[in-house]
Amino acid sequence: MVDAALDRPGFQAISPDSSLWLDQLDQAWTAQTSGQAGEEAAIPVGQQRIGSQVRYAVSPIVIAAWESAARELGWPDQPVGWEDIQQLATQDPDFKWNHPSTSTAAGLLATLAEFYAGAGLTRNLTEEAATAPETLEYVKNVESTIQFYGEGEEVIVQRLAEEGRDFLDAFVAQERVVIDWNRTQADQQGQERLVAIYPKEGALWTDHPLALLELGSRADELATTNNQHLTFQAFADYLTSADVQQQLLASGYRPADLSIPLDAPGSPFADTGVNAGAVDWRQPQTTLQMPGPAVVDVVKNVWRLTKRPTNVYLVVDASGSMSGPKIIRTRQALTAFVNQIQGDRDRVGMIEFGDGLKAFTPLRVMDEGNRADLLIQIDAMEASGGTALIDAVYAAVADLQAQSDGEAIDAVVVMTDGKENSSAYELRDLQALLRSGAGRPPVIFTIAFGKDADEELLQAIAELGGGQFRRADATDIEELYRIISTYF
Amino acid sequence: MNRTRIIFIGILAVAALIAGASLLVRGRSGGAQAGLTVERPDQVTVRVITALPVEEWVRNAAEEFNAGDYTVDGAPIDVEIVAMDGLAALGRWDRNEFGALDPGVRPEDLTPEEQAALDSFPTAWIPDSRYLVELANASYKERLGRDVFLTDGEYRARPIAISLFTWGLYNSRAEVLEKTYGQINWQTIHDAATAKGGWPELGGDPAWGFFKLVAPNPAKNVGGLAAMIAMAGEYYGRTDISVEDVTNPEFQTWLKELMGAVTDFSSASAYTAEDFALFGYSVGDGGQLLESDLLQNMQGILTRWEDPLKIVYPDYVTWFDFPFTVWVGPETSALEKNAALEFERFLLSPEQQEKALAYGLRPANPEIAVDASEDSLFVKWRDQGVQEVVPRTTAMRSPDRDVLLTLLRWFELNVGE
Repeated sequence: MVDAALDRPGFQAISPDSSLWLDQLDQAWTAQTSGQAGEEAAIPVGQQRIGSQVRYAVSPIVIAAWESAARELGWPDQPVGWEDIQQLATQDPDFKWNHPSTSTAAGLLATLAEFYAGAGLTRNLTEEAATAPETLEYVKNVESTIQFYGEGEEVIVQRLAEEGRDFLDAFVAQERVVIDWNRTQADQQGQERLVAIYPKEGALWTDHPLALLELGSRADELATTNNQHLTFQAFADYLTSADVQQQLLASGYRPADLSIPLDAPGSPFADTGVNAGAVDWRQPQTTLQMPGPAVVDVVKNVWRLTKRPTNVYLVVDASGSMSGPKIIRTRQALTAFVNQIQGDRDRVGMIEFGDGLKAFTPLRVMDEGNRADLLIQIDAMEASGGTALIDAVYAAVADLQAQSDGEAIDAVVVMTDGKENSSAYELRDLQALLRSGAGRPPVIFTIAFGKDADEELLQAIAELGGGQFRRADATDIEELYRIISTYF
Repeated sequence: MNRTRIIFIGILAVAALIAGASLLVRGRSGGAQAGLTVERPDQVTVRVITALPVEEWVRNAAEEFNAGDYTVDGAPIDVEIVAMDGLAALGRWDRNEFGALDPGVRPEDLTPEEQAALDSFPTAWIPDSRYLVELANASYKERLGRDVFLTDGEYRARPIAISLFTWGLYNSRAEVLEKTYGQINWQTIHDAATAKGGWPELGGDPAWGFFKLVAPNPAKNVGGLAAMIAMAGEYYGRTDISVEDVTNPEFQTWLKELMGAVTDFSSASAYTAEDFALFGYSVGDGGQLLESDLLQNMQGILTRWEDPLKIVYPDYVTWFDFPFTVWVGPETSALEKNAALEFERFLLSPEQQEKALAYGLRPANPEIAVDASEDSLFVKWRDQGVQEVVPRTTAMRSPDRDVLLTLLRWFELNVGE
């Protein structure tokens, strides 16, 4: 969102989860525009990309845990912190936890907490402390316990509903996720409750700003019009209106309207009801200190070196039905995916399929040369032949299992626009292969591109691989690949 | 018909045609009251860039004003409020983002498109403090060779309300600090901020973590600059701060230690008292903020958190005077300037000055007492330490431009990065 807002965006307002991103946007904008006017400004207050802004709700970022898991950690009798979770995760191989990637506020907070703990600090984290070898070793150990990264809360909640505690014991999320789960899943579906652990070292807040962009100062960029200003104001007024603020409270947010008490009868924060004791409006007591933008950048960059590595196969339909705009958009989407994979230990391979396996590029570390080779190969993809979908997935899984070292996240991202018609293997063969591996089987993401894809088969494959099934069309296939790349 | 008579009749015909066309155009544009030579618009719009601490009061006053029968030369006045932090506005004036004309260029020399662009030019500015006006004037003096906001005469800047910076600390935290240090000032706050053992070392609850200072980001909120000036004032024990003072390495070390106790400078509002209410003691135990801001958010703090704020007046006081400042350049018309003055008179009326009390603002009109209205926040929050008469009178002097710029650059290099 930050990158898109810098360069002639097709939108005029943004609403990220935290104003932390607005700060990063303004810093980047100032860096881009400083000196452009041809003269040094007398007042060193940078040109701002963000105009008006309003906050409509806040929610602290907490460690969300099953109530039984939280009690095992000592909750609610003793304070629980980031360090407790990190210690447990590194000592108990059965303890499963997750945090999203650093592109979300929740993921960034969890990562910062790891760096603070690794540096032996609770505030004033510096670049030197964040990049010290001991810090990096500590963070690497903690990150090796992560199940997977990813988009964030919604996907986790969906899988918790399906798999319960088998999926995760704890995850990093906004407090409102706990409230919403208890309302919809615990109360209505009989699932176990989640509770919010407010980390003793400090939480962080999401503050949901709605911000208008000041457009028009860049060449070929349309200025924000008066009508757009008025529309922004009307929408901001709507979000902060009494009705919407009450709806936000009911959904588990802490509304920005300060006349609304959190503990009133009927509120999810009240001492009665399904959320009683699971969340506490008097918390958090303290907040983890957010370092300056330069240190945050260092943490985000260094995290790529410490995070769990990935082995991922892109399994791509290059059959005849993909000809025309579809293959063009697929090339763009794959390029975006490959460019997003930045970890120096991450390996990417690609399998093109038609009547059979048309091209097999084995896993390779994405250094400059390998990345360039893979991009050339993507650019040369041509559509022809039938659809040997299962054979291609089978080949990817077999190779991952042969190479697996247990340290990396093994994954397959499969995309097709058609129906299986050319494979020698069947679904049950794939299932047997996945079960035959010694370690954790590869996670399989499947994408149905367009309306003619065999969604039933793709859903079945995703289920076998413990991954996700997603739909895409020509307009959002690139964005979907970009999102999936955040899982690695 | 001779040649002279033909020319005479031709001239008369052309004159009649011009007059007719002029009448037709004026009729279409709705200027029914206008004669052939006097243009009077249907409505005069006044755009007022307004500092955030007075925005709500001024916006509500503008709504009342617009609903009234206020006119200038017979044309109704419509006031538009554009909320903007004083420092952000200063940056826009400095970069000439509002589009002031170059010296010697008159609006009538512009193309219709360029004239239309001037429609959104601000008529007046209410910054937080008059020193911002002086900085804007300094910037335009370099560019245009003259002041654009006047300090005397009819269009001079006049304060519409005042407020000052006070300490706001959660009661529970203030009690511990007062017990430990006896007094709240920047030196004791510095000691609390740098206590290695955090609150337990100071005698507070371990769950409170470290002492967390609330200070606005000076690059986003003019209150942050005011806080740094006040810190310097108490560090040196005087009201007049120089560039040498703020570049002193010992002072800078002390200042950096203080700033190291701020939890987050990236907040959307860059720390105002609203943050106290939204995030509570988790983000800040206390800080020096504008009195009106603290008073406006006191109810929200009590609604959301169990711990009310205590207000403590500092030894060295920084005042904001919110001057109503009319742009005197040719970008706005005389009618617009006079309409702006009409709105300024409305804000200074006893009725509106009393209404300012409900926003925690002290009236600029000395005849209005701070307890004059039953809605006055000075009455409502008396128990939290707010005082109708400010107990100390040592006011910090307005810093000069070089001091401000030095502090801003220091922040950018040492904290903002």
